[in-house]
Amino acid sequence: MAGYLARRFGQIVVTLLVFVTLAFFLIQAQPGSYTSFYALNPEIEPEVKAQLEASFGLDQPLWRQFLSHLQNYATLNFGVSFGHYPRPVIDVILERLPRTAVLFLTATVVSFYTGFLLGKTIAWRRGGFMEYTATVSGVLLFTMFTPWFGLMMIWLFAFQLGWFPLGKFLDPSLWRGSPVDANMVFTSMIITAMAWGLAVLVATLAARRWAPGNEGRVVLVGLGMALAAGLAAWWLSGVGHLAWDILRHMALPVGTLTLISFGGTMLLTRNSMLETIREDFVTVARAKGLPERTVRDRHAARNALLPVVTSLVFSLAFAVDGSVIIESIFSWPGMGRTLLDAVLKEDMPLALGAFVLLGVMTLVAHLIADILYVYLDPRVRYQ
Amino acid sequence: MIRFAVGFRGVWIGLALLLVLSLGMLGCAREVIKEVEREVQVVATPTPGGPAEQAGETGQADSAPSGSGAATTSPAASTQSGGATGGPAAAPPSDPVYKLGIFSDLTTTNYWSYLGSSGDGTIWNGYVLGGGQASLFTYSDQRFDWVPSLAADFPTPLQEETVDGETMWTSEVTLKEGMTWTDGNPVTAEDFVFTVQTVMDLELSANWAGIVDTEFVEKVEAQEPYKVKVYFKKKPGLSIWQFGLAFCPILSQAYWEPVVTEAKGQGEILEQQKFLFAHVPENEPSAGGFVFEKWEKAAFAEKTKNEDYYFSGVTVTEYANGAYAESKPGAFEFSAYGEPTGDKVLEYTSGPHADATIHSIYGNQETAVLALNKGDIDFIMNPLGLQKGLQAQLEQEENVAIVENASNGFRYLGFNVRKAPMDDIAFRKAVATLIDKEFITGTVLQGVAIPMYTTVAEGNGFWYNPDVEFTGKGLSRPERVAEAVKILKDAGYTFEKEPVVSEDGAFMEQEGEGLRMPNGELMEELTLMAPSAGYDPLRSTFAIWIERWLNDVGIPVKAQLTGFNVIVERLSDEENLELWMLGWGLSLYPDYLEVFFHSRHTGEDGLNRGGYSNPEFDALADALLEETDLEEARRLVFQMQEFLADDLPYVVLFTTPLIEAYRADRLEFPYTTVLDGIQDQGGLTTTVVLK
Repeated sequence: MAGYLARRFGQIVVTLLVFVTLAFFLIQAQPGSYTSFYALNPEIEPEVKAQLEASFGLDQPLWRQFLSHLQNYATLNFGVSFGHYPRPVIDVILERLPRTAVLFLTATVVSFYTGFLLGKTIAWRRGGFMEYTATVSGVLLFTMFTPWFGLMMIWLFAFQLGWFPLGKFLDPSLWRGSPVDANMVFTSMIITAMAWGLAVLVATLAARRWAPGNEGRVVLVGLGMALAAGLAAWWLSGVGHLAWDILRHMALPVGTLTLISFGGTMLLTRNSMLETIREDFVTVARAKGLPERTVRDRHAARNALLPVVTSLVFSLAFAVDGSVIIESIFSWPGMGRTLLDAVLKEDMPLALGAFVLLGVMTLVAHLIADILYVYLDPRVRYQ
Repeated sequence: MIRFAVGFRGVWIGLALLLVLSLGMLGCAREVIKEVEREVQVVATPTPGGPAEQAGETGQADSAPSGSGAATTSPAASTQSGGATGGPAAAPPSDPVYKLGIFSDLTTTNYWSYLGSSGDGTIWNGYVLGGGQASLFTYSDQRFDWVPSLAADFPTPLQEETVDGETMWTSEVTLKEGMTWTDGNPVTAEDFVFTVQTVMDLELSANWAGIVDTEFVEKVEAQEPYKVKVYFKKKPGLSIWQFGLAFCPILSQAYWEPVVTEAKGQGEILEQQKFLFAHVPENEPSAGGFVFEKWEKAAFAEKTKNEDYYFSGVTVTEYANGAYAESKPGAFEFSAYGEPTGDKVLEYTSGPHADATIHSIYGNQETAVLALNKGDIDFIMNPLGLQKGLQAQLEQEENVAIVENASNGFRYLGFNVRKAPMDDIAFRKAVATLIDKEFITGTVLQGVAIPMYTTVAEGNGFWYNPDVEFTGKGLSRPERVAEAVKILKDAGYTFEKEPVVSEDGAFMEQEGEGLRMPNGELMEELTLMAPSAGYDPLRSTFAIWIERWLNDVGIPVKAQLTGFNVIVERLSDEENLELWMLGWGLSLYPDYLEVFFHSRHTGEDGLNRGGYSNPEFDALADALLEETDLEEARRLVFQMQEFLADDLPYVVLFTTPLIEAYRADRLEFPYTTVLDGIQDQGGLTTTVVLK
């Protein structure tokens, strides 16, 4: 297995190298020159333009720029942003990343959980009214025109009904005198979610080891305690209301994203389940007299999970770069909008940095998917 | 049973571990809060009050101050009267915070970087950072008269004198006394000297270079605490002194001097600049109506009221006869441009009337419009204005008012006059005659663009020459074709097939073919480069119609709709450039005419991309640069406009109306009719009255 993983890791490093190279030349190949960023500003003297170009290394031959590019990226030096001069690109990315991560990871996890749950259920009850309704709804939502749908959600739930805020990720009147900034709260929220995830994992492992058969209850107790501790921590922190404000603002974009993307997972799970339940081992499980629920969840759904997990892992990778459309519609300033703004303003170091981050995350997702496959499908280990 | 007991004990051990983890989280949370509280103590350090700046905000972002001296009103109809308002409303507003919507985040809060770095010179930074600095002079509200701000009066006339054996031109300005920064320090001549000296020492570029033009400025001196003297190497024109250095934003020496001193120790000049730009100001003193308080990145920026703002309570009056007056009881009185008597066209009392301003960032116009409808924000700030569809949507709302003003800019068709046939005035005139701007803007574009004929906006009243000839204006389609054919034939052009248009002008009965130039050569196909519809649908529409009209008469033109960058790159290709379509945002003071059309700017880095060269025009442009008298400068600008309308190096095509919306139930602006709209006045934060 170690050899398998080492091989995969090596392949990923080579792929990353090719990707970074392609990204560099793709930017270079665009029409015009991104030094025209300064070209039509009559206030910038030619000498100053030349100095600025030299400071960005743009006066060097292309091959030398490329070598510097490789060297810089190997040391995580993404350069200095044109648009946020003189802030380093990595600084801008780290500022935007937590916001996108919180929104899109939440939406991805929720949509996959609901999609998987509904997918396996409708496949098991094939031919019923529920299957038709869910399938048609899923296809409809999956093919929905996202900008229109997002605006309609805002118009209905935020403007007409007033249940949610009108876009953005916080309420300025609440944050005016706040002692912390939003990134600190976002980061703390991510840590809390990770702690809760860890708590569930520990509880699950502990229950499996010491109380087989009672996993559900033990996990529930563990999760309850961790939840209580986490909530108490937020309450005592004095900034819990700010986290609540962010959660309130997240509700509508998460709901919209979930509606848009859960259909895909649901349909994928359904198809995968339909293939799995025709397998002999499912018939055998039924013949043994196992309860339907056990056959569905432990025998069929687990095997149907493989393509869904692959899809989930890749979605997580893309979640890091956000969605330009959703972030623009909901005024959610994350990586998607950063990438778009950087391209529109020809802030190429930032655009390249965000683009390469997307590539790295996708490759990491591939690696994680490979590792998960080893865990989920023993056949991979034998190859 | 025993096994169960042991297992259960293990579970409890696991849960105990979880509890420890949870308690750890609690502990971490407390630590975070302690850390936060420490930060707050620093941030919340009280700042002594202090004030200053002019009565009106100048939130201009991406242009250096430069502009006219008088009467400028928008030609576009405004649905709101530009009436006068008195002081604050009698009843206190329900919400004393002025909430503005913007569409992009700040990129810096460092004013040096905002004016010194191309990336940071955005309009969005300008909206928030503008108005916090002092300046010697400023523009008056609405009419853009040139009036004192920190200066107590107009500068002394320029004098030639010998300093250290060198001949120099000097002028002195006396400052108002009593203005202070929010840290309690007085605003003095030393602050002005420090700011100018920093720009010169650190060789700051971009907009700073336009304000402090080191080709002219030798040095500035604080003669007394409240008197400055400026020294010029050469005789400075209006754009260099009155509309240049005199508008220089003044930053607090007490706050910035340590930073600048450290920056100067950073080695190369670019490193020094980088160090200065990288500084993130905290508690930077303000001399404006508001002081910067907080920037929640990508969410909002907050400024709080400067309780000791020097101009708070100043009454500004503008008269129909052109006179300008301002007064603050017990402090000062000032008037200029005539006797302040007769009909008043504007009168207001300066605030700020709001306790704070919040600039909230929205990702798109649709959501911002919903927020305006709902009352989440009071005014939408956007240099491009509202889209037509959203305007229609807002017109239904009872509590929302819409205002429409002209933009100070133009889109144009440029000719590379180095090449035939563009080098022929007759050809350029024929092209200009064939373009029916009214048809495109009115019929095709349904009023989303305003036709333009001159290089100075009509709304820029002081500098606009109303007597300039409008080539082709008011002609019918057959008349245009006939006129263009006549111009070409008179100049020696010949057709193999002459164009014939139907009497009603609806179609071409015969398209022109085989157009030969005066030298007998067949005219080859010309390329008209214009932005694609994705970038600018207005210009691409114009390009398509121009292509059609020129082809109809036999002028072989192919419109190439492409990316902005591609056009910009082609501009420096003198061989292959033929016709192109781009646009300019303009300053109020029209010295840009020299930059766009003087023959000295035809090089690769110049902005006279078409290579236009006319010695008579060059002489006028040179004279304008040197002119120090406002009236004489106006005469020169009028002549330059006439030259350009005749020579046509550009065919000026159109500008766009700027549509804005605000909550009429919350805001009362002192005026709403103004060139480039309320947004260009920074949202009038210091003069708006909240209801």
